[in-house]
Amino acid sequence: MKRIETEAIVIGGGATGAGTLRDLSLRGVRAVLIEKSDIASGTTGRNHGLLHSGTRYAVNDLESARECIRENKILKKIARHCIEDTGGLFVTLPEDDPSYHGKLIEHCKYAGIRCEEVSVQEALRIEPNLNPNILAALRVPDGTIDPFRLTSANVLDAQERGATVLTHTGVSGIIREGDRAIGVRCRDRRTGVELEVFGGIIVNASGVWGQEICASAGIALRMFPSKGSMVIIDYRINNVVVNRCRVPSDGDIIVPGDTVSLIGTTSKKVEYDKIDEITVDEDEIATLLESGEKLIPNVSRTRVLRAYCGVRPLIAVSGEMDGREISRGIVLIDHERRDSVGGLITIAGGKLMTYRLMAEMAADLACAKLKVRKKCRTQKTALPGSERKLDQAKSVKFFTGIPNSVVGSTLYRHGQRIRNILHREKRNYGLICECEMVTEGEIEYALKKLNVKDIVDLRRRTRIGMGPCQGQLCAYRAAGLFVKYDSATSAESNKMLVDFLEERWKGIKPVLWGDALREVEFCYWIYQGLFGLGDVRFPEEGEDR
Amino acid sequence: MRYDCVIIGGGLSGLTCGIRLAEKGARCAVISTGMSALHFSSGSIDLFGNEGEGKIVFRPFEYLEKFIGSNPLHPYARCGSSRVREALFYFRDQLDLEDIDLYNNDDANHFHVTTLGTLKPTFFSQRSVFNEKIRLAFEKKSKIAALNFEGYRDFYPELAVINLKRNVLFRNIEISSGKILYPDYGDPQRNPFEYRSIDIARIFDTERYLEDLAAQIRTAAGDAAFAAMPAFLGITNFKRHHQLLQQLTGLLIYEIPTLPPSILGMRIDNALKSRFAALGGVYIAGDTVRGGTIAGGRLESVFTENGGSSALYAGSFVLASGSFFSGGLVSEFSRVREPVFGLRVYSHAERSKWHAQEFFPRNGHPFLEFGVETDERFNPLTDDGQRLGNLYCTGALLPHYNPIREGSGGGVAVSTGYRAAELILAGNR
Repeated sequence: MKRIETEAIVIGGGATGAGTLRDLSLRGVRAVLIEKSDIASGTTGRNHGLLHSGTRYAVNDLESARECIRENKILKKIARHCIEDTGGLFVTLPEDDPSYHGKLIEHCKYAGIRCEEVSVQEALRIEPNLNPNILAALRVPDGTIDPFRLTSANVLDAQERGATVLTHTGVSGIIREGDRAIGVRCRDRRTGVELEVFGGIIVNASGVWGQEICASAGIALRMFPSKGSMVIIDYRINNVVVNRCRVPSDGDIIVPGDTVSLIGTTSKKVEYDKIDEITVDEDEIATLLESGEKLIPNVSRTRVLRAYCGVRPLIAVSGEMDGREISRGIVLIDHERRDSVGGLITIAGGKLMTYRLMAEMAADLACAKLKVRKKCRTQKTALPGSERKLDQAKSVKFFTGIPNSVVGSTLYRHGQRIRNILHREKRNYGLICECEMVTEGEIEYALKKLNVKDIVDLRRRTRIGMGPCQGQLCAYRAAGLFVKYDSATSAESNKMLVDFLEERWKGIKPVLWGDALREVEFCYWIYQGLFGLGDVRFPEEGEDR
Repeated sequence: MRYDCVIIGGGLSGLTCGIRLAEKGARCAVISTGMSALHFSSGSIDLFGNEGEGKIVFRPFEYLEKFIGSNPLHPYARCGSSRVREALFYFRDQLDLEDIDLYNNDDANHFHVTTLGTLKPTFFSQRSVFNEKIRLAFEKKSKIAALNFEGYRDFYPELAVINLKRNVLFRNIEISSGKILYPDYGDPQRNPFEYRSIDIARIFDTERYLEDLAAQIRTAAGDAAFAAMPAFLGITNFKRHHQLLQQLTGLLIYEIPTLPPSILGMRIDNALKSRFAALGGVYIAGDTVRGGTIAGGRLESVFTENGGSSALYAGSFVLASGSFFSGGLVSEFSRVREPVFGLRVYSHAERSKWHAQEFFPRNGHPFLEFGVETDERFNPLTDDGQRLGNLYCTGALLPHYNPIREGSGGGVAVSTGYRAAELILAGNR
């Protein structure tokens, strides 16, 4: 059995785990991250990508609101290339309680959130697609954040500082020695290879899945999973975040993101043993579209691209509560104090917005246990790609000869790292995904530098297959490039093509009507009618290696 | 304008119908919104390839004899198997007149190799895809060279070779690989790493680069007996260039379909249009029929988007507007409808039953079997139950068959288009 010795082990490759890995690496602690699937493939990658100003929490949860606005300001500096500073609006519809508007202004003051009243006319100027019948509007410092890029940048920085990352590696149990947790047993889910990782401290940052991790160490920790569903609209129908100014409820936000817009979210209780099987329900789609249309009437005339859902990682404090009422506050558990099991800490709760703060708290405690006296530097140290302000005009000039749209997209996704990706060789900037302007060079970079194991991972790093066609042409091209760049065998490439299309299908199924159905018919026609991909027989693991 | 017949839809079915009618002297117009689905096809014409559950049909006409009895609503059942045969061979003869030689193995299916190296049973293939010599070389287990253009993003032979090697039919057949460089044909603005099939086909539609290409193929193929390449042999001069290239190289040159656009399918599309025009047919491209005037159980005229108030009148009409993809059927949040005339449609009331759970299910997706309900003469009903006796529905618009699962799309398009023409001609006599 393979054996790795390190100082710290981080379980979970979501934003919190990746952030913790980076924080530890910045403090000079050697660390290994273990993730059962891909980085940002769980809850992190399944939200609406809102860079919260905290306004949404101001009335109900002042503490969270304050954390949000603090982190909002930090992230705008350290993660520029993952963020769009769009600004946000809170709008009151004719059927909404008009008093909430004033209450929100007051509570934003307490939380330290800049929240200004704007006239309806001004709101419509800022966001022309807005419902013209709104009664009032507030302007807040909301923005958008790309969780895939954010997590990947944290991981990349940690790796460049010496950290080890094991993706597609599932933890099968915590190894205990007396009253201490000393390591984890895990299995590479692609190759089946088992390994053990030993370290002085284990940080459980596996979110909602943390219950199982703790259980394997003999510790009782109860998660309270709550499902949130979202719908993606196939155009960017708004340029600022649009919130509904009322008590938090289903379908009260539309967030622009890259080339699309998202309507979020619902909140439904799910049983813990169903967290890996959740799907979007028909009634959630109807609710989201109906509510979305009230904010931006164009929603009803725009193609729906897909729907997806995530599980909120809330820790049940006591009793049965609705998913929305429970605090989204951060929970840091020292299992030595709580359960008399040394060497293990759990960081949970919180939200994408506070991932850095959570990582800081976890790393502080981990360092205290390891007796490392280094201070957190993540609030000041920019992520790779975000070192300087992004200047598109300068980049376009630097890469003269390469289409501006390619330069713009690459810069948008990778910030200053564009210099490591693009160069003036035709092969490098030849387009592979035409919806999202992903080049062969960007794919090559992702395959070599960004822990990409299959086409689904590649999608999270580059947006390949995330546009209107959902991977019709580019999926096959990407499969070919995996072989070309020695990242997979031909047999593995065939298999990952099936897996990718099945993964895309999951999000399309719930919205299968109109143009989505046309697109699916075409895609199925290509991959089954023309390619016969469904007829490819896959032998047992390893036969072709 | 007045025609004998107006055909809505310029794909495989509509053009087959139009050619048959025009050949018999009928004044026909075909109205086509956009690109034919042939541009996304394999370019082979499938008749019936799969029974389901992975069982292959080797002799499709024999199979249809019994299949028709238990599937009376299937378009083939509505045509009758002898008429299906008549239609298919008629189609072959028409393409022959346009210089496309279709190979068929008498009454049996043959296999064509797909982009991913799986084998699909089909009935007609172009001779650069399958022919007797290829079959012989194959039986002798001759070596194959899988060649590709350097940097071509729409074809990866290595993904196909692994699947071929796993197939028992290819056991003990050696497959090598090699690269061909594009000729420097002088468009510095274009990025050759972004060429599509059509760009390559255009290069080789001229004779200029064939000698250089032949030399490269000879070197890259080594001692192989045939070279398998992505379909690249041009749209217009492919037959001559295929022969020329085989002479120059001394190899069998074999084309494999790539990502769309389909060079092989475009050749058929061009040939059908050309044949239709030669017979005096009127092809109206880039216009869409928006509705029609119905009186006394008959469609009197149709109007189009570009035609304004001037309607098109005809004695008979054919609706060959395709399935969802081509816009012949439209799906909404909770229903499926036919957008031109609001015809009665076969579908499921519950949207969750439109599709299978997996993207690659064993038995295909139900939505592929939706379509406009017709009687045995392919006449549809309006939403209020009125039968339209002079409107015929054909091709992918029809329900109760699954083109992909059965491998029957091309055959149904051709035979129902042909059948509609025969019914119209019989009615006029």
